Amino acid sequence: MKKQIPLLIVIVLSFLFALWAVIPHKVSEDFFQGYLVFARAMSPFGVILGLMSITMVNVTKIKRKAPTWQYSYVTLISLYLTAAIGFIWGTSEGSPYIWIFKNIQMPMSATMFSLLAFYISTAAYKAFRARSAEATVLLVAAIIVMLGQVPYGVMISPKIPAFAQWILDVPNLASKRGFGLGVGLAMTAVSLKIMLGIERSYLGGGD
Amino acid sequence: MFEIISNLIAAFFTLAIFSFLYKDNPMYRLAEQLLVGISVGYGIPLTWQNAFIPFVYQPIFIQHKWYLIIPCLFGLMYVVRFSRSLSWLARYPIAIGMGMTGAGVVLSMNAGVLVQMRSAMQPIDNINMLLIFIGTVTVLLYFYFSKAHTGFYGKITKVGVWFMMIGFGASFGNTVMARISLLIGRIQFLVYDVIMGFIK
Amino acid sequence: MEFIKKLQDLDRRWIYLIVALAIVIPLLIPFNAPTYTTSPTEKLYQMIDSYSEREDRAILICFAHDASTMAELYPMEVAILRHCFERDVKVFTLTFLPTAAPLINYAIDMVKEEYPEIQSGTNYINIGYKPGALYLPIVVGMGDNIAEAVETDAEGRKLESLPMMKGLTNYNELKLVIETSGASFAGGWITYARARYGVNVAAGVTAVMAADAYPYLQTGQLTGMLSGMKGAAEYEYLTDVFAAYSSDDYPNGRPFSKQVLKDKEEISKIDIAKKYDPETKTGIMYKWKTARLGMNAQSVAHMMIFIFILIGNIGFFIDRHQQNKEKK
Repeated sequence: MKKQIPLLIVIVLSFLFALWAVIPHKVSEDFFQGYLVFARAMSPFGVILGLMSITMVNVTKIKRKAPTWQYSYVTLISLYLTAAIGFIWGTSEGSPYIWIFKNIQMPMSATMFSLLAFYISTAAYKAFRARSAEATVLLVAAIIVMLGQVPYGVMISPKIPAFAQWILDVPNLASKRGFGLGVGLAMTAVSLKIMLGIERSYLGGGD
Repeated sequence: MFEIISNLIAAFFTLAIFSFLYKDNPMYRLAEQLLVGISVGYGIPLTWQNAFIPFVYQPIFIQHKWYLIIPCLFGLMYVVRFSRSLSWLARYPIAIGMGMTGAGVVLSMNAGVLVQMRSAMQPIDNINMLLIFIGTVTVLLYFYFSKAHTGFYGKITKVGVWFMMIGFGASFGNTVMARISLLIGRIQFLVYDVIMGFIK
Repeated sequence: MEFIKKLQDLDRRWIYLIVALAIVIPLLIPFNAPTYTTSPTEKLYQMIDSYSEREDRAILICFAHDASTMAELYPMEVAILRHCFERDVKVFTLTFLPTAAPLINYAIDMVKEEYPEIQSGTNYINIGYKPGALYLPIVVGMGDNIAEAVETDAEGRKLESLPMMKGLTNYNELKLVIETSGASFAGGWITYARARYGVNVAAGVTAVMAADAYPYLQTGQLTGMLSGMKGAAEYEYLTDVFAAYSSDDYPNGRPFSKQVLKDKEEISKIDIAKKYDPETKTGIMYKWKTARLGMNAQSVAHMMIFIFILIGNIGFFIDRHQQNKEKK
């Protein structure tokens, strides 16, 4: 029963929503509005789950003195301190809460991903080789698209951006559509499996 | 002055992350964990202010819509997710959230498959349309594994491989631009905001 | 030969240094490089521009990214907001990510500084952050009633009480949604809002994802698209050429025209290398040309990567040739 009732909720709600999607009637709109009120009231509680998860992982790491356990203190202290600062001094512009975000979180988050620029350049230098006919096609397409995007490409020849755009508009479109159709059908199949109660891994293990 | 100090602190954390390029070091690790902690901690007061107050506190305690206690109880069931004996209760809020899948079956079939197929079957009145048609069909056939990719069929799927390689190339070209852009953003900050700000 | 072979074993830190220099130098020495606009950007610009000074039309920008992809997406948001404020287009802003909420404030505040007449609640509404669990209920709910679906704006005001809402009920008036994201090209909006209510959807995406979105551009499921820093640079440029243009004939910007874009004399007036002078108000402010200055550095960096690939492959072929010789 611990699994069956939630499963029943999913199946009933899924069928109701499938009907809602195709029947634009007042009854179906009222049903959606009711769901909206319900979903809104439930929405803040998901955060508690995330908070508990990150706290438990780090506390366990500290307790077990796992490798680099000292850094877990940094995670926990910064997490609860940021939240406390937000509650005490508010979240409006000019508050310490926004200062932390702007001067600590934002620069670090932006820099973390910018490291990839160095790695992709090294990869271009050390690994991007025309080893086979297929790899050569990939390489040539990449170079044309790369040069076609920047002002220097236009300066070399106005045909480069036009050719790059053609690559994106025609062969690239065809290949991405092929992938997209496959992914779309697979997603529909998975959704149908959830709707019919065949796929239930999202409910977790146990009885 | 305050802005200069703030920018210097932001620059310090930027460089702490960049220091990983030389080698892994305690400064980088500290910055990494700080980033995780602040990112999660940041969301809590915002959720309180933008979701809990308007959707839970005000309707229940001020407008006295007592029936909203029911969805709140469902929401609270998330909390017992980590309890061994009560974790099954967390299935209820998950199930309610999954309910919208039904709408997804109908609408994503339309957006992701039917509209795309309709566009793939337009009249072939120029060479580009022909190429798009050939490319789409051959890429789809490449992913059909119930028939061995040999003989004439193998040659057709090979055409699909060429189209895919061009597609991957286009993606790679764009990826280079994306990654470089992110670095440009950081260097623009260091050059224009920090160094120029300091000189001013 | 030996030199090329030695180059193959170059320490990665030297490569990092070259990459950094290739970006720093063009940023320190700005130059004018041509900005060529593409059709997906032009379409988006034209659609937003067609809502100029209309009470019963609005657009929504959904900020679906955090600071990590800000370099590519933030200049787009600034350019679109500037276009809206220049041409009096009503605009909503919204996010489902807590870390994107301050980015909305920064973008609005940065643009608003130059438009003192623009008022929150009258010309724009910042809905602000709503929890991710409300993504679908809001995306779909706005098809019936925007004010009911989101209830309050970022300042906690009821949407229905704000003057901008006059004449705006649902997607019949909120005609265009633009999602700026580093993770999807407005998939949820296309699947739910467009399929059910026919709303126009556009995407501002990081360049990584741009190639994947082309099938959706061809079908019209995406009305327009800004692709990475280049897309942002194109939009900045179009805003400068048309929306921010002022003359006796067109005191509040001029309509989009391909003819103007081809006119070399007109284009030469857009000078990003010249520094903005606050006293004479000549030149273009830095915040309006961030992406275009970035594209200068991008040019040099792409040429550098092209040379990297070339050197790497020359070395590879020399190596292979020698190996084949030894085998024989």
